[in-house]
Amino acid sequence: MTSVFRRMAAAADAPVFALAGAGMRWAVQDLRLADGVTLVDSPRSASILLVAGELDPRLGEAAARVHDSLPHPRATVVWASGPDGLAGADAERIGHDADPVAAARAVFRDLVLGRRQSEPDLLPDMDPAPWRGVGPYGQGGSGMTGGTPYGRPMAELGPDRDGLRLDVLPTRLGPFFAPLPAGLELDLRVAGDVVVEARVTGSEVGTSEAAGRSTFVRALTQPQSIADLELSRARAHLRWAAEALRLQGLRAISLRALELARTVAPGDSAAVGRLATAVQRTGVYRWSLPNVDDRRRSLLADARLGPVSRACGRAEDERLADPAYIALGFAPIADVGDGVAAVWRARFGEASQSLDLASRAGSAVTTVTGTTESPRGRIALGDAPTARALELVPALVEGLEWGDALATIAALDLDLDELAALAGVTAA
Amino acid sequence: MTDLGPLAVAFSVMVAALLAVLASWLRTARNARATAPERVPFTGGRAPSVHAWSRYHARYYPMALLFLAFDMEMVFMYPWAVVFVTEGIVAMVEMGMFIAILLLGVLYAWRERAFEWT
Repeated sequence: MTSVFRRMAAAADAPVFALAGAGMRWAVQDLRLADGVTLVDSPRSASILLVAGELDPRLGEAAARVHDSLPHPRATVVWASGPDGLAGADAERIGHDADPVAAARAVFRDLVLGRRQSEPDLLPDMDPAPWRGVGPYGQGGSGMTGGTPYGRPMAELGPDRDGLRLDVLPTRLGPFFAPLPAGLELDLRVAGDVVVEARVTGSEVGTSEAAGRSTFVRALTQPQSIADLELSRARAHLRWAAEALRLQGLRAISLRALELARTVAPGDSAAVGRLATAVQRTGVYRWSLPNVDDRRRSLLADARLGPVSRACGRAEDERLADPAYIALGFAPIADVGDGVAAVWRARFGEASQSLDLASRAGSAVTTVTGTTESPRGRIALGDAPTARALELVPALVEGLEWGDALATIAALDLDLDELAALAGVTAA
Repeated sequence: MTDLGPLAVAFSVMVAALLAVLASWLRTARNARATAPERVPFTGGRAPSVHAWSRYHARYYPMALLFLAFDMEMVFMYPWAVVFVTEGIVAMVEMGMFIAILLLGVLYAWRERAFEWT
């Protein structure tokens, strides 16, 4: 009887938690469309840990902690990563060209059928500190827990917000928190579900040659085909849409956006238009996306964050400085409404416009180097829009409720690969 | 004594069943003992700096108002359901008016963001 259940369980989709290393963000995103694996948002729901690409060495301990958070039986698949992809794990290692879905399924099947041992913890089974109370045996003390549990003090009291003094809970998010890009670390102080203070404490995902080969980074140093650039831009916007829709819990339409991002061709503006209409019909603009007040709007407008700044009323675009684009009749899209919903509309509008430009560009190439308009805004050597956006994150999210804060961060389309690639270009 | 026979059998079965449940629970509990790294709440891979227990505002006052809005509706609806068949359309209209007035309270609570847990 048990073996029947085991076989049935082994035939199910493998629940995978993925750590997307440098340059592998989109490869991991593509796994959402794959049959046979389910990408989950918490390691507690996963059986397989997929380490994709090289992780920055500073993320090693966090990766080990994620590994140990998987319930037994668990296994690790290391994809396109060096020998120390996740040091210590008794992992299945596959090359860049191997199929991670097949590997994850095979490992999951072996795990469930008992042919493969569950991996032990990577970190020692020790609490960070003993439970310490005031008595001679560590017992007693004041507060809810009667002591200092495992060296972790209680949350401190915050200022009076609405008649009650409440706890302010310091929360460390990342570097592998599913709603944020891998590598991004935030220290938040949360009262109820309002973010009262935010700090960005980490934005390293590692460097990768793949990230440096992005069309937009290449356009900084040599002329690039406008058709290629605009197709890449449309795809980047659609991939962003897939991620943002997933964050809003709209799974089916998120997969539709991702499928479109992979298959879209120059001139397919109508397909993007249909997707934008479908997104509008979900009601997400009215019900889920927060407003942006005047202070935040002026911060975002000044930061040259591409569609985000244009949605906030600043029609600046590096493409306007390029005669090749002017010859194509390019004009930035502006006046798309208010709030975070405006950023969504701007991105859909620009994806559609880019496909139109790509179909008309023919063999035209860019004529300006040194600065380029990436899907996230103005880029230059050593100057990435993600760096400018990260500086704004505390000012943007403080005072927002949790869900609004995440939706606001998602709207910025932070890309740590591009950040690392542009830093690398300066150093070279 | 023979009268107690069935009772004794039932009692034995019950004790045996309890012991079996307890034994299987102990087995699961022993196997499922989480290690220190497994016990830490997951927030992305870093160790938490403070304990997860935190006091938050339960918002008793809006809760009490919302409870009243929905509870009063029920209090009136039960007797109304009894007389509805005999009273007919008049009862229907009266209930419609009553619900509409109550709904104003709910809409007011909605506007005051009472449904948001902050």
